[in-house]
Order: sequence, then C-alpha cells, then structure tokens
Amino acid sequence: HVIHNFHEKTDFIDITLSKTQRKTPTVIHKHYQIHRIRHFYMRKVKFTQQNYHDRLTQILTDFPKLDDIHPFYADLMNVLYDKDHYKLALGQINIAKNLIDNVAKDYVRLMKYGDSLYRCKQLKRAALGRMCTILKRQKSSLEYLEQVRQHLSRLPSIDPNTRTLLLCGYPNVGKSSFINKVTRADVDVQPYAFTTKSLFVGHMDYRYLRWQVVDTPGILDHPLEDRNTIEMQAITALAHLRAAVLYVMDLSEQCGHTLQEQLELFNNIRPLFANKPLIIVSNKCDVKKITELSEENQACDRLLAHRVDTKVKGKKVHDVLNRLHLAMPTKRDQKERPPFIPEGALMRRRAMEVDAPKRKLEKDLEMELGDDYILDLQKYWDLMNADEKNDKIPEVWEGHNIADYIDPDIMKKLEDLEKEEELKERAGEYDSDDESEDEEMQEIRVLAKQIREKKQLMVMESKEKDIHGPRMPRTATKVERKQLEKEMGELGLDMNDKDDSHYAQQGRRSRSIAKKRKREASAPPTSKTRSQSASRPPRDQSGLRDPKMARKAKKMMKNSQKGMNRQGKKGESDRHVFDLKPKHLLAGKRKSGNTDRR
Amino acid sequence: MRIEKCYFCSGPVYPGHGVMFVRNDCKSFRFCRSKCHKNFKKKRNPRKTRWTKAFRKASGKELTVDNSLEFEKRRNIPVKYNRELWDKTVEAMKRVEEIKRKRQAKFIMNRLKKGKVLEKEEAIQEVKKNIHLIKAPHAGKAKQMEDKMVQKLQEDIDMGDEDI
Repeated sequence: HVIHNFHEKTDFIDITLSKTQRKTPTVIHKHYQIHRIRHFYMRKVKFTQQNYHDRLTQILTDFPKLDDIHPFYADLMNVLYDKDHYKLALGQINIAKNLIDNVAKDYVRLMKYGDSLYRCKQLKRAALGRMCTILKRQKSSLEYLEQVRQHLSRLPSIDPNTRTLLLCGYPNVGKSSFINKVTRADVDVQPYAFTTKSLFVGHMDYRYLRWQVVDTPGILDHPLEDRNTIEMQAITALAHLRAAVLYVMDLSEQCGHTLQEQLELFNNIRPLFANKPLIIVSNKCDVKKITELSEENQACDRLLAHRVDTKVKGKKVHDVLNRLHLAMPTKRDQKERPPFIPEGALMRRRAMEVDAPKRKLEKDLEMELGDDYILDLQKYWDLMNADEKNDKIPEVWEGHNIADYIDPDIMKKLEDLEKEEELKERAGEYDSDDESEDEEMQEIRVLAKQIREKKQLMVMESKEKDIHGPRMPRTATKVERKQLEKEMGELGLDMNDKDDSHYAQQGRRSRSIAKKRKREASAPPTSKTRSQSASRPPRDQSGLRDPKMARKAKKMMKNSQKGMNRQGKKGESDRHVFDLKPKHLLAGKRKSGNTDRR
Repeated sequence: MRIEKCYFCSGPVYPGHGVMFVRNDCKSFRFCRSKCHKNFKKKRNPRKTRWTKAFRKASGKELTVDNSLEFEKRRNIPVKYNRELWDKTVEAMKRVEEIKRKRQAKFIMNRLKKGKVLEKEEAIQEVKKNIHLIKAPHAGKAKQMEDKMVQKLQEDIDMGDEDI
C-alpha cells in the first residue's frame, strides 16, 4: 500500500489557496468587459474547487476499502483501527468533497448575475470561504486518517497466500527467540510479558522455497470478547492465515504459567487450528528435558504435503482434465499416405550433403575480371531473340515516349488509320477552301478598310486637340476656305471654280468688314486678341527700349530656365521628386564619394 | 527515362526539370515550371485557366476524340523488347504524328472559319453605315447630272436633226 503523504488541515487549506493565487491570472480591472470579469472570478472558484476535489479524491482512493482487501487485513485493520470509525472518517471526507462541489456550482451559477467587479469579487470570496470552512470542520477526521496512514505504512507485509508458519502460545514462551534464530528478523526479546505487541514477519529458505514465519503476541486464556487489541491481532492471524501452526509451550514454566494452563489454552483455541497442520513445540527444553520432538523440517514438509493434496483434490484440476482430449483419425482404407516433401527440399538436402558449388556467381566473375568488370544486367534478360539482349533501346523521340506507343497490334491500328485518312482525303476534308470572292465583295472590303482608317485618324486628331481654355462651340471658330475645299475634295466632291459659291462670297464679306478696324502694328489681328485693349503692350515687350535689350532679356529668361529644363521640371513650381530613396545613394558602404552623388 | 506530363498545363516535363508534389492521399502531381506549381497552390482549376491544354480540350477549342490520338496512351503492362516491334513502332509513330498534326490543324481551321463569315458581315455593315466618311453621298452626282444634261441635249439635237 502506498498512500501519499497529506498534511494537516491547516496546511491543506493554505496550500490550496496559495496555489489558486499563483496559478490563476491575477490582474483584473473594473473597466474590463463584464464577461471577462465574471470568467476571471469563476475560474478562481472552479480552480479551488478542482484542487480540493482532487486532493480529497486522492485520499479516498488511497485508503484501502475494507471490503476489497484480503479478509486477514480487513480483520487486522478492524482490530487496530476500528472498522466503523474508519468507514465513518472516510465517509465524512466524501461528504465534504460533495459539499465543496455543490458550493462551487452554486457560486458559479450566481456569478453569472454579477454585474460589477465588486459583486463578482465578493461572490468569489464567499465561495472560497465556504469551501475552507467545510474543510476546517473535517479536522478530526483528517487527523484520525493521518494516524491510520502512519500506522498502516508500518504494518509488516504478510502475504496471506504463500507458505507461512505461525507461532502462537502464551506470552514469554520463546516465540520471538525462535523467529530470531530461524530467520533474519530482529524482534525484541525481553524477560517481561507482551514484549511483542504486534505481528512480526521473518523469511527463511527451506528446500529452495521461501517461507514466511509470523510471530504473534502472546495469547492469554480468556474468552474472545474480553480480548484486547494485541491479542486480537494474534487471533486474527490464526483465523485467516493458512499456515502451519506452531504452538509453543514452555516446559520450564518460566513464562509464569503452568503446563496445565497452557494445555487449557491450547484446547480453547483448537477450533482455530481447523484445516491447518499443527505442531506442538516444546521450548526451553534445555532447562527442562522432556523430549517431544518438533523440528522445523517436519512442520514444513507437512505443510507442503498438505498444500499439494488440497490442490489435487480441488475441483479446478478436474475442469482442466475434462477439457483435454486427444483426437486420432481412424483409417478409412489401406492406402498409404506418407507426408509430402517437395522435390526442391529433397534436392537441397542432397546438395547440402554433397556440398558442391551451384553455379558461377557474379561475385566470382567480378573477382576474376577485376578492373575490367562491368555490371551488365541486360545479359540475364529473357527475350524472344537472344541476340537482341545487347541492343540500345530507344526511349524518346521528338518529345514523345516510345513506350506509350508500344503495342503488339500497332501495325493493324496504323493500317486502319491510313485507310481512314485516305477516305477523308477523298471526301475532300483537307481541301483548302478559299472561295474566290466576287468583285463586289472585294470592293466592299477595300472600302471598309478605308473607313476604319479614317475613323482611326479622326480619333487621333481629336486626341491631339489641345483644349486648355473654355470649350467653344464649333461655330465660334472660323473655317478657312482652303481647309473646307481640301476636305470636300477628299470626300469626292468637285471643288474647282468655286469662287462664286456662297461660302466664298461670305468669306470675302467678313474679311472686308474686319479690315476697317484699327490695328496696332505689333499684334496681328486674330479672333482671340480682339477682346484685349489695344493700348497695352504685350508682356515680352513692356519695359524694353530696343531690340538689343529685348534680346538680352530673352537670353536671361532662357538661361534661368536651363537648370529646370535639365532636370526635366515642368516649371519653377515643379518640386516633384521622382525617387525619394535612390538606391545608389543609400545602399552600400561609403567607399567612394559622398552620398550626394556616388 | 520518361517525359511526363505537367498536371496543370499538360506540357512536357523533361527529366531534370520541374517539381513533383506528393499529397497525403498518395496522389502525385508533376509541374513543368513554377508558374504551374504556383497556380496549383492557389487552387486554380486547370480546366478554367485559359492558357492550359486542359481548358482548350474541355471547351472544345482543340481536337479531343480522334483515332490518331488513341495511339499515345500509357499502358501499364510492359511488353518485352523485340527489335522488330520497336522498329515498326518508331516508323508508325512518325506517320501517326503527321496525321495527328494534319487533323488538329484542320479542326482549328474549321473552327475559325466562322470568323470569316462574321468578318464579311461586319464589313458590309461598316460600309453601309459609315460610307459618308470617305465619300460624300452626292459625290459624283454633279458630274452625272452634267453628263445627263449633255446626253439629253445631244438627244434633243438628234431629234431635232431627225425632224429636220
């Protein structure tokens, strides 16, 4: 039995609470979302509950159930610890565990309705507090169980099923001395009675087998009900262990009881010896010599025989025998049917006996040829014509795998294909059908092409128009006569001798009217400048005395533009930087030049 | 050595080229180049990606069912080497390839023929609608009228002559 150490109840509570604090998150603020706050506190409650639950379950499972263990141990524990008290203590622990679970469940349910950090926190405090109180109430049970545990761990490990010798008798007759002599046990031997207060085990070897020797405390002669715990242990051992009983008697009456009393005791506890080989040991015969033999040998032999007998006579053996049955087939005719051995096996056996080399191996060949050896697996191929073995097999032709075309029926298929092809050609499928189109269609095509070209030209022209100002209607711009005649001529109309036409006359009229207006010598008359005041000189001539100065001004203007033009700027306000992080300036080491220009 | 087919574009994967991907269900996919591989990883369907052979076959742009295409087929039963058979096969391959090419070309040409008809229609429509861009509607009419007048006068004179 291995029971884990558990601490007193104060430690228990402290440990669990500190664990809760360490293992669950600790940071929470009241501005967190409410579901997060709730989850946080719920987690703490559940964690504590889980811990308590686990520990208590551990306790419950570790302690042995009196119904599950060997009756010897059950009785022994009853004798030592009182069955009722034991069961009660464990029951209380179980109840505590369930209560803790319920508390946790309830408070988790309540936590769902907590609407602020403070409320949830109080709920958690309440839950943990209640759980701890429940546990505090179990103080006495836990103490008791702790003591039981400590005592239980010190019980001797007696195997109730193996070969055992049991020493019993009055106190102080010499049982412990006997066990000290016979085994390696080291039991206290003292002149006062009840030196041995509990069972002790020793081990010895006899006939290559291990034997347990159990030493009991002395038994006094009174009825069962009056017996104390110490004696009860001896009785329990007697009652449950299937062992050879050695009843030790003190011939010299040094134990303080007469032979008569010892015999009486023997008769009283005789019912306990039922079904067990019994040896009466007369001890201390050096003091007083009455030779009544009892040697250990006899006891052991007797026990062994007894055990074997019981086993054979047991019903189990019969069960096994019943199931065994040897089946022999009956002969149906006189034909001989010897076992079948394949020929290969026989040959192999013969070959093994003869011990001759089978054939020349590649390895031998390799050894012979040495450096000239070439591994040529193609020579083992099994082909229809043996002389083709060394052919170089083509695999690929013009992007196709030859292996995909290999087919024993390929020639037949090819023939069929060729026939099909012929039929198709005859039917005229492969004739190129460029029907010669009639002239009309050709003309139409030409015209269509011209139309398309013209359309493209028109589109391009409209794209090239540079409209920066307000869009004037078409009638605002004057149409020149030459332009008009050219266009219409292209469209196929006859535009010669059109001086008398209406449009030409109109053109002349407007020109003659326009001439009457005064014009400045500098500006030629155009429709755009008509709106300007006549007195203002144009900008590039204002403030300049003579052409020489004008030229100089122009030169200065051009000079100032050079820099901008070289940098490809649109004007003086163009500050656009095309490449903010040019690689040649920013990458690499500063080996040559500076970063302005590298 | 085998020239495999790319799973995505159905192009040839020569030995030493491309990538093979083996999936957990033991199906292996070969790719001729990273373009196909990347498209595959993007879970694109080759039957819907326009530049692949799979698309062209699935949308009827290329010859699909034909006897000449049945020759190149991966057979899982190997045939023992036989020099005659191999020679004949190589010859047959060349002829089959010719025929296959012819038929594929014919198929595509037939498909494109419809375009010619449409072109014709288009040209006629174009001319009908936009002839005014090249030729004014009454372009030669003045001359025609003149000629007509001249002719008429001529006729009248003739008539007059006749009368006289």
